[in-house]
Parts: sequence; C-alpha cells; structure tokens
Amino acid sequence: MEARQRSPFTLAITLFSLVFLFAPLVVVVLFSFHNTGSLSFPFTGFSLRWYREVFSSAEFTRALENSAIVAGVTSVVTLVLGTAAAWGLTRVPPKFRAPVAVLVFLPLTIPGLFLGISLLVFFVRIEFTLSLATVAIAHFVYVLPYFLLVARAALDRLDPALEESAADLGASPWLVFRRVTLPQVWPLLLGATSLAFALSFDEFIITFFVIGTESTLPMFIWSSLRRTVDPSINVISTVLMAVTIGLWVVAFVFTVRGERSRRRSLEPLPTEG
Amino acid sequence: MGNGTAHLSIAAVTHRYGSVAALDDVSLQIEDGELITLLGPSGCGKTTLLRVVAGFIRPSEGRVVLQGRDITRVPPHRRPVNMVFQRSTLFPHLDVFQNIAFGLRIAGVPREERTRQVEEALALVRLEGYGPRRSHELSGGQLQRVALARALVNRPSVLLLDEPLSALDLKIRLEMEVELRRVHRETGATFVYVTHDQREALALSDRVVVFDQGRIEQVGPPGEIYRAPVSPFAARFVGDANVLPVQINAVNAGEARVTLGGSELVVGAGAVETVGPAWLVLRPEVIRLSARPGTNGPALTGTVQDVAFRGAGFSYRIEVPALEELLKVETAAEGGIPYELGSEVVVTWDRGSCSLLPRT
Repeated sequence: MEARQRSPFTLAITLFSLVFLFAPLVVVVLFSFHNTGSLSFPFTGFSLRWYREVFSSAEFTRALENSAIVAGVTSVVTLVLGTAAAWGLTRVPPKFRAPVAVLVFLPLTIPGLFLGISLLVFFVRIEFTLSLATVAIAHFVYVLPYFLLVARAALDRLDPALEESAADLGASPWLVFRRVTLPQVWPLLLGATSLAFALSFDEFIITFFVIGTESTLPMFIWSSLRRTVDPSINVISTVLMAVTIGLWVVAFVFTVRGERSRRRSLEPLPTEG
Repeated sequence: MGNGTAHLSIAAVTHRYGSVAALDDVSLQIEDGELITLLGPSGCGKTTLLRVVAGFIRPSEGRVVLQGRDITRVPPHRRPVNMVFQRSTLFPHLDVFQNIAFGLRIAGVPREERTRQVEEALALVRLEGYGPRRSHELSGGQLQRVALARALVNRPSVLLLDEPLSALDLKIRLEMEVELRRVHRETGATFVYVTHDQREALALSDRVVVFDQGRIEQVGPPGEIYRAPVSPFAARFVGDANVLPVQINAVNAGEARVTLGGSELVVGAGAVETVGPAWLVLRPEVIRLSARPGTNGPALTGTVQDVAFRGAGFSYRIEVPALEELLKVETAAEGGIPYELGSEVVVTWDRGSCSLLPRT
C-alpha cells in the first residue's frame, strides 16, 4: 500500500496557486519584449524597442539612479550600524535579551503604511526637508530588523571560545572582532546586505510618504501607470524584478557559503592521521 | 608570607555567582617551571580558578599576582598567560601556521622571526609540515597539539590547560600525556593543568591541588596525596580507596587499636592522636588475600563477591560482614588463579600501609 494517498484535489490547488503566482510575472517579462504596443495576446514578435525607449527616457534613468543611490546608502549604513547592533545584541545580559529582542524586531510587524505616515509626521515635525535622504533614513528603519535577523543568527552561532582564544593570544576587543569574528561571518553579513539593498530597491509604500518631489523606480512605475499603460511599464517592472531577484540570489549564495565553511570547521577528523 | 617569591600567587580569591561561591577563599603559590594540576569533580571551582588566572573572570575578592605584579584587574589580552581550551578553538578561517602565528602577529614580531618561531613550535609538538593544513583536516589529538603550539609560541609566563585531553579517545589521551610531559620538560614553562581525571593528575604533575566545592582540600606531590590523603574526599578522589568507619580505642607509640566491623585491629596511627571515631583509608592494592589467617598484621574475614581479570592482576569485591560497603581489592596476577566467587578469604595488610583520618 502507498504510504500517502495523493488527492487530485490537492494537486489541482497546487498547480492553480503556482499559475496565479508566476503567470503574471511571465506575462510582464514576455510583453516587455513585445514588438507592438499591445499589452495582451496574441503575441506578435520579439523586439527591444521598449527597452530602448525606456532607457532613453531621462525620467526613467533619473528614477533608476535615485533608487540605486537610496538602496546603496541604505545597505551600506545598514551593514555598518546593523553589524554593530547585532554584535551588541549577542552580548546583552540574558535577562534583558527577550525585551531587547522585542524592541528590535517589533518593526517587522508594523505595517508599511503606518511606518510611512509616522515617519512623515516625524520629519515634518522636526522640519526635515523631504528628499532622498529622508527616503534612505526611512528605508534604514525598514530594513534594519531584517538585517539584524540574519546578522544576529550568524553571530550567535559563533563559538565564544574562539573569541576568548583570540583575546587570550593578545588581541584587543577590536582586533578580536576584525581578525576572528568578521572573517567568519562576512559572507552572511554580505548576504544580509544584498537583502537590505533588494528590500530598499523595490520599497514603495514608505517611500511614497517620505520622498517629496524626487522619484524612485517603484514611484516612477506607479506614476506612469496613472498616465498611460504601454509595454514600457513591463520593461521597468522587469528591470526592477531582475535587480531584486539577482540580489536575492546573491544573498542566498553568500548564506550558503557562510553555512558551509562554518559546518566544515565544526567537524574534526575522528582519528589520529 | 612569601608572596613575593612565588611565580604565580593566588591570594584569598573568592568568586561568587549570585549567592553560590564557585571559589571560596582560595590561596595557592605556584613556582616557576612547575606543572601543577587542579583536580576535582565538575563544578568544584577548578575551571573558575583557571579563568580567573586567564583574566576571563574578575574574582569577587582576592588578588592574582604574577611575577610580583598584581594582574587581578588586567584584561586577558594584556596578560602574559596563554590557554589551551577543552575543545579545539583553532580559528577555522586560518591554517595551522597562521593559527600559531596569531599571537606573534599581534605582538608585532617581524615576519622572518615569526616564521622561525612557528616552525620551532610545530617541531616542538611534532607536527612539522602541517603548517598549510586547515583545522578540519586534523584529528582531535592534532588539534590540541596545534593549540598547545599556538599558546607556547608566545612564551607565556604561565600556560593554562583546561582539560585539554578530555575530548580525546583513551589511547590518544595516553599518548598526549607523554607528549605533554616531554613538552613541559623541553620548555621548562609553568603549566597549570585542570582535570577531573585523577589518573591524569597523578601521571603528569609535580604537585596536585585537590578541589572540592570551591575550596582547596589538599595540596602536595602526587605521591604524598596518594599515601597520606587529608580527608575521605581526597582519599576517594585520588586513586581508589576503601574508606572505612572505625572506632579508635587507644593510641600508643604510633600505633592505634581500632574496632572495625566488630573485630579489633592494630594499625599505624599516622597523625591521629586521640581516641574516638575515625576513618580508616585502605588502598585496594595494599591488601593481600589468603586462604588461611596470616601470622601478623590486621586481618578480616570475608567472601569473594566479584572478581575481574585486569591483565596485570585481579580486581575483587570482598564482602566483610558488618562492613556496609564491599571491600575493593587489587592483587597481582602472579599466582595466575584467582579466588573463586563465594570462597572465603582472609584479608590482610601491613599495619603501616593504611592511614587514619579523624571523623567528625
């Protein structure tokens, strides 16, 4: 007898979900290469004309640039401050660990809409002019908990005895971090940074509130959609998706790499060789 | 009180975790070039003391003085001591050579000198040619040898070893003991060695410090602790021992008349001078078994409850009526044939080969 009975119903639901998940994405990518202005079937042929059109638009390149700047600044700031914060979190005395973790990770549960409104109110209140800087600050607030989630897990799993060994061998706390801690966790930290970049790059809701007069890629898509609907939208979406997926892949590769080197170091050979 | 002369002096160190004293007023003088072991069951405070010397723990009270300098408040990285940990703590992102060179690099030793010293350290632990290997390419014993080289290459004033062999198989452990003795002889360094394995302590040390519940129970050369334990705990923990409750009836000219299990025996009095309850410490290997009562010496009669062949001898459990515990006996295998289970034997020993401890 078969251990598990497969119901055709389950299979149908699975296929149905997958189609709903991926079909729109496939359509978007496919029609970004369409040779006519039509956004729907029948598909008449491949062309790069929409790509040429989009990339020659000053508005688009400006938005792309802005997105890259914001995501770049956000991820670098997150890498530095986030690593410091994660390092600090692993050294919180046990009885404060839970409350501190709640404070740090609570923003994960806050809706973007709420975060956007409160940041806008805050910036207006302190009379801070809305610009790409406010967007970067807002994005930092938004991506930090995600970064910390990865970075803290990486640092938590380090053997504290290794750091003690380094101190014992004469390394000051800073040298311990640079020579022993960092070399072991940098792939994971870089993975978390790519994640931060990706999250910032396609963030829309919070950006919408705090951006002022500038534009980022998601903002540009949104405003274009309000004017006309032509395949250039598909092109921009495809670019956005490619960057984001690419960064997730980078994040994944670094994470796997970090995991593998860690695991190897934990398994000494069993017998004298 | 001679604090100035000791190489490492631990003066009245107390360390509390909450209300529990892991170390309770511990004082110890360690001489230059000595191999001293801190021996005790887990949780007795021996590792805490080692970490106090390394600087990882700042004791609640007391001082640590190294070569005349008070280092109690000096952080670990500024102390001229190095440690070998229980588990391997080789840096996984560095190879063996870089691991050993770690301390020298931080100390700013120039490259050529560094290479020479690392090669020397590798030779000391007999791992010539292992420099380019990574820690995951080494066996447990090799890992600890590298850890030893990594610590010794810095020429520490004191080398601390925290149960460095406890994670190894017995066979490799025995080989490593020989290696450690050799390395200690060749370097002349001061070793402070923590272990819960009394056999290891007896085999390695110039002096053994027996710990129990955060206090020092006894300090002395292995032979002395073995022959003359100061407490039932020390007697049981160092070597095997039968610790029997006796009643001292009279002490006279270095000999004591005691009642043990209903019969009266005459044994060496040792340090005990007063009559009253006492412990009789009887090492299993000083006991002789015979089929008939001997001519002199204390004697008890019992039945063989268990016998095991140990290669060099036999190990017995003898039931003596009126004794609560079975008597442990180790005999040489000379005769070849052990006493059979259930057979009646006479247990004797030389009067001077047992010791008495006051019982309160």
